[in-house]
Amino acid sequence: MNWILLRGVFEKTIIMWRRYLFNSLSGLATMYIVFCLLFFGFRSVGAAIDVGDTVEGLVVGYLVWVLAIMAYSELSWSVLNEAQAGTLEQMYLSPFGFHWVKAAHLLSTLVLQLAMAGVMLLLMLITTGERLSLDLFSVLPLLLLTVAPVYGVGYMLGGLALVYKRIQAFFQIVQFIFIAFLVVPPGGSPLVQFLPLNLGNHLLRQVMVGGASILQLEVVDLGMLLLVAAVYLAAGLLVFFRCERVARRDGLLGQY
Amino acid sequence: MEQEELRLDTVLKVKGLTKTFRRRGRCVSAVRDMSFSAWSGEVLGLLGPNGAGKSTTIKCILGLVQPDSGEVEVFGRDAMQHRRECLRMMSAVLEGSRNVYWRLTPRENVRFFASIQGRDVRRETERLEGLLHLLGLGDWVDVPAMELSQGMKQKTAVACALARDTPLIFLDEPTLGLDVETSIEMRGMIRHLAEVEQRTVVLSSHDMKVVQQVCDRVVIIEDGAVVVDDTTDNLISLFQRRLYRVRGSGRIDGETERQLREIFRNIGLPDVDDDSFLLEVEVARPEALYDLMDILRANGILVEGISQDEPDLERAFLQIIGREEGVRA
Repeated sequence: MNWILLRGVFEKTIIMWRRYLFNSLSGLATMYIVFCLLFFGFRSVGAAIDVGDTVEGLVVGYLVWVLAIMAYSELSWSVLNEAQAGTLEQMYLSPFGFHWVKAAHLLSTLVLQLAMAGVMLLLMLITTGERLSLDLFSVLPLLLLTVAPVYGVGYMLGGLALVYKRIQAFFQIVQFIFIAFLVVPPGGSPLVQFLPLNLGNHLLRQVMVGGASILQLEVVDLGMLLLVAAVYLAAGLLVFFRCERVARRDGLLGQY
Repeated sequence: MEQEELRLDTVLKVKGLTKTFRRRGRCVSAVRDMSFSAWSGEVLGLLGPNGAGKSTTIKCILGLVQPDSGEVEVFGRDAMQHRRECLRMMSAVLEGSRNVYWRLTPRENVRFFASIQGRDVRRETERLEGLLHLLGLGDWVDVPAMELSQGMKQKTAVACALARDTPLIFLDEPTLGLDVETSIEMRGMIRHLAEVEQRTVVLSSHDMKVVQQVCDRVVIIEDGAVVVDDTTDNLISLFQRRLYRVRGSGRIDGETERQLREIFRNIGLPDVDDDSFLLEVEVARPEALYDLMDILRANGILVEGISQDEPDLERAFLQIIGREEGVRA
C-alpha cells in the first residue's frame, strides 16, 4: 500500500474521529450501558446457580461483538454515507483505485476501533471484577481473524448499497444476527463453525478465559478460522466487485 | 461540422462513445456515437440543454460510468485499458455532488484529495496553500465546509480537484448555483488554468454566458449526440447577422409592410399597435438601412430608436438545435 495514501487517509480518519468525538464516545457509552444491563441482569438471575466462567465468557463475547459491530458498520455504512455525501465518485477517481483507498480507510479505522475496544474491555473488567489473560501475541491475531468475516459481510452489504440505495434497515438487522452467530455453541454442527464470529469467539475464550496460548490451540481449529475468514472476505469482495460493475454500468455510483 | 483533426497536442480524444441506460424496462440513449477532442491549454465547452448527455459523457471518460462502446484516449493512452494511469492525469468536479467532506475544512479537504491522488502533501504545502488563496479561500481555510456559503463550497470542490495537480480537469456545471460575483471569479479562475498553467479544462454547462466567456472551443450536444464542434468565435460569427430593431410611432399598415417585404428578406413585428411599433429587420448589407429609413419616412412613420442585435452564443446555440425560428418572415 502506498505510504502517502495511507498517511493522508489516517490523517483524515483522525480528524473525522475528533470532529465526531461526542458521537464516538456516546456510542461507546451506550455499548457499556447495554453491557452493564446484561451483566447485572445476568448476575441477579445467575446468582442462585453456579455460573462458572460464564461472566468471563460474556465479557469476551461482548468484546468480539463490539469490535464486529464497529468494523461492520464502518464498511457498510461508509459506502452509503460517501454516496450520500457525494464523495464516493471522488474516491473512484483516485489512481490507486477505490479499493486501496477503502483498504487504507479500513486500516486506519481499525486502529481506532481496537483502541476503543481496549477501553471497553477495561471498563468491563473493572465492572465485573473478573480477570482475563491478555496475551496480545495470542489475542490480537485471533481477534482480527474473528472479525475478518464481518468485513466480508460488510463488503457484501456495502456493494449492495451501491446498487440498492435504501437498505439501511437490513444493515441494522444484520447487527443483531451477529449476536446469534456468537451464542450458538460451535460443537453442534461443523456448519455452525462456518458462521462469522462463532469459532473465533470460542477460541478467544480458550485464550482469554482458559489462559491458553495461540500455539496451544488445535491446528485444525486455527486452519478453520483462517478458512472462514478467507472465504467470507473473498465472497464479500466478489459481491462488492459485481455490484460495483452493475453500478458503473447503470450509472449509480453518484446517485443516492 | 464535427471536426476531425489530428494534432500533436491532443490531450483527450473521444471516439464513437455510446451509452444506453436501461431504466424500468426502457432503453434511454444517453450518449450516441460521440466523438471530439481536447487540446493542450484550451478550455473546451460541452454545451447542451439539461439531459443532453454532458454529465454522462464526462463520467464515461472518467470511468465512473461504463460506456457500451467507443474509445477514450487520455494523452494517447486508452482510458478503458489503463484507467488508473489515466486517472493520474485527470481530476473532476462533478455536478450535483458535494465533492468534498463537509465536516472537513478546505485545507483538510485539499490535503486529503491531494493524498489520494498520490501527492506528497508535506512537500506540497506551499502549493496547496497558494491554491486556497488563489481561489479566495484564504480567510476560510480552517472553517468546516458545512459552515461555508454555496460559492465557497464550490470553490473548495474546485480547489480539491486542482490539488490533484492534473493536466486535464473536468468541471461539470462549475457555476451552477453560484452568485454573480462568485460566478465571475470562477470564470477568471478557469481562464487562468488554461492561459497561465497551460492546463486543459473540459467544462460542461448549459449557461451560454459562461461558455462564451471562458471556452476556446465548443462542442454542442443534443440528445446525446454532437451537433457542432467548432471554436467559440467561429460559432458566433457563423450566426452573425445585421439585425436591427427599430422602435417608432405611427402605424405600419399593410402597404408599408408590403414595401418592406419587397426589399428585406426577414422582417418581424413583435410588438405593434395603432400608434407605435417595434420592427425587426435583417439587412444583407449596411447600405440597405438607408432604404429602410426611406420607406418609413415616405409612409410618415417616425423613428424613435434603433439598435443592432449583438450576436452571441445563445442565439447560435438555439439556431443550431433548431429552437429558434428566427425573425418572422
